[in-house]
Amino acid sequence: MSAARWAALVAASLRRERAGPWLSALGVAMGVGALVFFVGLGLGLSRVLREEVFPVDARRVEVVPPPVSLGGLLAPAKLDADTVARLSALPGVTAAYRKLVVQVPAACWYDGEFFGHRLRAGFDVYMVGVEPALVRKDVAPGEFSDAGPGEPVPVLASTRLLEIYNKSFAPTRKLPRLGKDMLAGFEFPVQLGRSFMARTEDSVQQVRARVVGFSPAAPLEGVAVPLATAERLHRERGVGTDAFTSVVLVAEDPGAVPAIAEGIREMGLQLDEREKSAAEAAGGAVAVVTAALSLLSLLVCALAAFNIAHASTAAVRAREQEIGVLRAVGATRAAVRALFLGEAAVVGLGGGGLGTAAAVGLARAADLAASRGLPAFPFKPESFFLLPWPLLAGGVLLGAAAAVAGAWIPSRAAAAVDPARTLAG
Amino acid sequence: MISLQQVSKAYREADGRPVPVLERASLEVARGEFLAVMGPSGSGKSTLLQLVGGLDLDFTGELEVAGQRLRGLDDRALSRFRNASIGFVFQSFHLLPHLDARANVALPAHFSGEATAGDAARAEAALSRVGLAGKARRLPAQLSGGERQRVALARALFMAPPLLLCDEPTGNLDAGSGAEVRGLLGALHGQGQTLVVVTHDPAMAAVASRCVRLVGGALVEVRP
Repeated sequence: MSAARWAALVAASLRRERAGPWLSALGVAMGVGALVFFVGLGLGLSRVLREEVFPVDARRVEVVPPPVSLGGLLAPAKLDADTVARLSALPGVTAAYRKLVVQVPAACWYDGEFFGHRLRAGFDVYMVGVEPALVRKDVAPGEFSDAGPGEPVPVLASTRLLEIYNKSFAPTRKLPRLGKDMLAGFEFPVQLGRSFMARTEDSVQQVRARVVGFSPAAPLEGVAVPLATAERLHRERGVGTDAFTSVVLVAEDPGAVPAIAEGIREMGLQLDEREKSAAEAAGGAVAVVTAALSLLSLLVCALAAFNIAHASTAAVRAREQEIGVLRAVGATRAAVRALFLGEAAVVGLGGGGLGTAAAVGLARAADLAASRGLPAFPFKPESFFLLPWPLLAGGVLLGAAAAVAGAWIPSRAAAAVDPARTLAG
Repeated sequence: MISLQQVSKAYREADGRPVPVLERASLEVARGEFLAVMGPSGSGKSTLLQLVGGLDLDFTGELEVAGQRLRGLDDRALSRFRNASIGFVFQSFHLLPHLDARANVALPAHFSGEATAGDAARAEAALSRVGLAGKARRLPAQLSGGERQRVALARALFMAPPLLLCDEPTGNLDAGSGAEVRGLLGALHGQGQTLVVVTHDPAMAAVASRCVRLVGGALVEVRP
């Protein structure tokens, strides 16, 4: 039987009674719709975690010294220039960027105009020196290099900090929301040697800091300054700086990272995986919830398949004479089976398509409701959903697969109908 | 056309006891013959037709139809045989209720392996042949009993099979419709069609060129 003839028979058969098949399709639609909705939600939340909250570059690893070291006996205890050179020489490493935490207490006491509002605030300033090449694309406009004593210190703030300020801090303090462009060039006072939380040193030095951009490489709780500035501040304040706090290595490609990590461990150093662990923990929680809801949705699909199995079994009984006629005019058992499976596949495709379309519509409605009804919070995305085409196509195909699975055994029963018995009399 | 040699067939009761229907029945039907098979209800007339039509292969003996030995054919070959060599007409018409007359007539084409082009025209030609030219788009429910049987006859003729097997074709029809169907079958015989008709209807038997009666599972020639 050709595909065209098979399709014509399936279509004619489905036209005869529309309510039954479409009720079955509705069951499939509910299961598929729920699955697409929850998987899309899980993917959307994972995207926010991956791209906004924990932007982890798969090519980058951050090397830190071990917390407890046996000194020079077994492994290097510090990230000095020699160790950085050895790290740069590891196979697969294309660049190494040094970082140095400024060990001079620093605080900001701001009392003045802040974008049209009066602001009085005091906070400690945590500074990390980074190599300008690591954050080059994040600097605009201005220079991210050490300008020397007496000149404003160029700083890069965390993109996440700006998000938290705009969505959480600013609304509660009735402060203006700020864009990256608005803050570029903004200056604030910093007192070196002073701290609100630790001991203030005897000598306090007034400097100004100037925002020159926002970078994911900047610490959430502070700012990034040029490495040369961090080293100069240490020299000026008498802090010994013969080692760096960490080194960021960039691999040729993500596939080279495991070998690089192995080389790092062989050197007695460690990977700073706090960020990655946090991302994995948050991602894992999302994955578990998504998996649980998806499982529930699959259960609904399975129930829909059982419903189709039940309906198909009843249909085979009701259509035994019809099957006998088909066999009498030349249908093979395989053709009869294909007819029943084809009917189920069409019902499943219809249900899958309906469910997928409903899921997309519900996702849009949920996004709209969230944008209007939910208050702004840090990292609140424009859409909570990610609905790539393979997910949508998979939803439609899952509907067909569930329906065909449900009709599998009844179709065998249909093929086994004895035409001699059903046509007698 | 048909060669039946020592064919036996038994059904089984619920308790497993065999109930013989045909016992060493033998029959030869030549091409172009119109054979009427008569006998009391339950004598095995329909069973004989199902064996000849390849709907039932559970028998002993030798059976050859249209040059084809049926025993041992697989499902595919047997289906092809039924599609190309046999046209069935049943007492209860057995039209598919969701298909119109034309689609019912063209039903065998779906399993013939031929292209779809021309199905509709051929089906309408077959309907014209049985006097239903204007009723191609009617559903079975919109046709009278006699018209339904004529649609069934058009379906049986659609693939131009060498053998037409009719099981009580006038059994559910009124006198007028029965006469029409008898006339159509007689005309087909006149055009050289081979027919085997199971019937209780003496008028139908009178149209046939030959008549046998099933008695105690055996076929007895009544009229040459």
